[in-house]
Amino acid sequence: MNRHAMLTCITLIILLSSTGCADIIEPNQLAFVIGSAIDHDENGIEVSHQIVIPSKISGNVKGGSSSDSENFVVISATGKDIFEANMKIQRRMSRRLMENHRMLIAISEEYFEKHDISKLFDKLNRDPANNLSNISIMIKGGRAKDFLMNDHPLEHLSTIAAQKEMDFNGMKNFSSRQLVIDYLSEGSRPLVPVFNIKESKVNNKETKQIAFLFGFAILDKNLKVKGIMDDVEGSEVAWMAGKETFQGVTIPWKDGNGTLSFKFTQLKRQIYSNKGDDKNRIILSVKAQAYLIENTTSLDMFEVDNIIEVQKYLNEQIQKELQETVDKVQEWGPDVFGIGEHFHRKYPYWWKSKKGNWEENFKEIDVKVKPNIRIRSFGTGGERLK
Amino acid sequence: MSSISSSLEANEAYLREQFNNSSDVVIRSLILKDETIILLIYLDGMAKLQSVEDNILKPLIFSGLPKGIDPIQSLSEMFKREWVPLTNIKTGKSLEDLVHQILQGSLVILANGEASAIIAQVQDYEKRSIQEPQKESTLRGSKEGFVENIRTNTSMIRRRIIHPLLKMESFKIGKYTQTEVVLAYMQGHADENVLSEVKNKLNMIDADGIIDSAYIEEWIENNSFSIFSQIQNTERPDIVTSCLLEGKIVLLTNGTPFALILPFTFWDGLQSADDYFERFIFTILTRTIRYIMSFISFALPAIYVALTTFHPEMVPRYLMFSIAAARETTPFPTFIEIFLMLVVFDGLQEAGVHLPNRLGPVMSIIGALVIGQAAVEAGIISTPIIIVVSLTGVAGYSIARYSAFFPFRIIRYLMLFITGFLGFYGFALGIIYLLIHLVSLESFGTPYLSPVAPFDGKRIKDLIIRYPFWIKKGQNKKEN
Repeated sequence: MNRHAMLTCITLIILLSSTGCADIIEPNQLAFVIGSAIDHDENGIEVSHQIVIPSKISGNVKGGSSSDSENFVVISATGKDIFEANMKIQRRMSRRLMENHRMLIAISEEYFEKHDISKLFDKLNRDPANNLSNISIMIKGGRAKDFLMNDHPLEHLSTIAAQKEMDFNGMKNFSSRQLVIDYLSEGSRPLVPVFNIKESKVNNKETKQIAFLFGFAILDKNLKVKGIMDDVEGSEVAWMAGKETFQGVTIPWKDGNGTLSFKFTQLKRQIYSNKGDDKNRIILSVKAQAYLIENTTSLDMFEVDNIIEVQKYLNEQIQKELQETVDKVQEWGPDVFGIGEHFHRKYPYWWKSKKGNWEENFKEIDVKVKPNIRIRSFGTGGERLK
Repeated sequence: MSSISSSLEANEAYLREQFNNSSDVVIRSLILKDETIILLIYLDGMAKLQSVEDNILKPLIFSGLPKGIDPIQSLSEMFKREWVPLTNIKTGKSLEDLVHQILQGSLVILANGEASAIIAQVQDYEKRSIQEPQKESTLRGSKEGFVENIRTNTSMIRRRIIHPLLKMESFKIGKYTQTEVVLAYMQGHADENVLSEVKNKLNMIDADGIIDSAYIEEWIENNSFSIFSQIQNTERPDIVTSCLLEGKIVLLTNGTPFALILPFTFWDGLQSADDYFERFIFTILTRTIRYIMSFISFALPAIYVALTTFHPEMVPRYLMFSIAAARETTPFPTFIEIFLMLVVFDGLQEAGVHLPNRLGPVMSIIGALVIGQAAVEAGIISTPIIIVVSLTGVAGYSIARYSAFFPFRIIRYLMLFITGFLGFYGFALGIIYLLIHLVSLESFGTPYLSPVAPFDGKRIKDLIIRYPFWIKKGQNKKEN
């Protein structure tokens, strides 16, 4: 027993002294980076970090005052690459940068144009502090740094606002991880959400610079922007790309008298090859369940005939809209729907000959959208108001 | 061994010498009308004398020798036949035996010319009445608890198991205290090997005195250097009864309400009598919560230190901001903070145990207000630490068996230390070391972690789900 105890003690002493407690870092020695911005600079790159001041964010804690001072600081530095810029920032900080809690990386449109974005993700991929669950957005027009500098009327930080805005609108598949996956797979091209900063009157006294979702950028194989969709078209594209973000639609009724509004749930999409030898013909089938939310037409939805007609008309309209969007994307070239992936799996040999110049070949593909939308509920409890 | 001589004077001299300077020993001699001298010796306060007066003294003094079924011819015949109108009568042969019996509260009757003595077992002394057990109270179930008197305790078990297979072997342990220890078991249910091991160990106890069953526990347990107790103690007769029926062995000790039950496993310590009294579905909930709580009770401070100071990236964002905000102004490192608060908490607890009842409220004011609230308000201790330490403290008390909680209190500190040095790596090391220790421990032949290790698929289900009793028996209720 004595020997046992002695052994334990010696083991513990050796263990503890050999590793030491150098790894200890108290939370008040950390600077939590919640968002980062990447801008173009003559020297190469300008990195900005939005750093939270925790005592200002959790209001109830002692010492946290409700003064007008901001609850974040933005610190930026330039460098040849991210690492160099980060080192410069760290040298100016009293606390260690903690990038693990980052929610969002904002990249300016200018940077997208002038640099190779894929090199940016090299550092992000290597760094264990980056778990790639943050979202990557593009800032249209202005500088990404300005996006970080702005405060938000509702949320503590502009990054939190942007992240929540996307989250609540069903856009959950736009993490950096998804971007990297799309980039690495040969048969699909990434979509990146685009924000732009707008003057916005928040109340009678003040107007603020607030960033809103503008749409989606369509990137090609080298992560160059080929075109920017607005948010309605963009979410249609996202739906057809299997990212389940489409929220609803309002369509005018045939006679031009009134409109019908639907909310969509259970969004699905599937890609089929057309039967026959022509591999270039693709059917993109989208499925959804629709809930009638608003009806300003004279249609009585208690009539079964009307229901069938509305459903048919809705499908036609959706088909028309989606087909237009698909045609637009095809004009630009990047295959954001992942049709290439479908070919990759279905006709691997055929795909090998095509994948080299998929950007051009994709334009040749005849994509037919085939919606299958079922109306689940009419939301009416009784006779409509006359 | 010196046998009783036929000379009363010699016997009396011997006894007087044995009991010199003992004010509570009463030696009363009286001369009957046929010139026979009889000597009554007993301990004052230990014997109930009413029946002796009624049944022995009165007839002898007023009407001569007792005339029962058959008139007795002489005093010697009375001695030979033990014809004294009392139920529990023995004849003593040696003087040492007499001394021993007197010390236990018997009345000894000697007569001149007789080489034997009548020992009337008329012990009766003040004892505590049966009360509800304080330490292990249940919401439902029996309200009886053991008392100090061993015969009351054995009778409580006998009343519950009315079967001759219930055996109660008696041992006298302790050179001076001669404490009676009863080994109770169900013959055929209890493991013979364990039984003989326990008997051997009981016989080998070489102690001056046994004050409490804890003494017995330490003498017979397999590994005294482990922080885990390998013998369960209880003051509930219903727990003892169910353990006996499971084939366990119970040791009752005179002078203490705590019975010992063995073998004992780790999981027994986490169960409660209430588990078997409440509806079984509810038991699943309470047991699951108890397991979670017992994990919290030793791991939470360590996990908190590991998460906040070694791996802050593992904490959800907003929680980390709150913790960081609370930590902003506090002077000590997290590890020291937690350690200080744990010491304070254990100190308060220790003080609470020893505190006179009247001072209880004072103590809680000092503890809660001054130490808890003031420390936070002064910015010396951060709020999450108080939450962690109090949650840890509360979690510990959800372990139903009080003494099964002690090891967790020790592990709490050990885990905190190793985690404070090594982070989650240390936490993992600590858990591994703990598991190695638990797996190698055994209680009277039963592995301490069974049925988890070694794995027993059938019995392991009872750890979480207590099936209805009729399923346990392996029968369908409808069929019989």
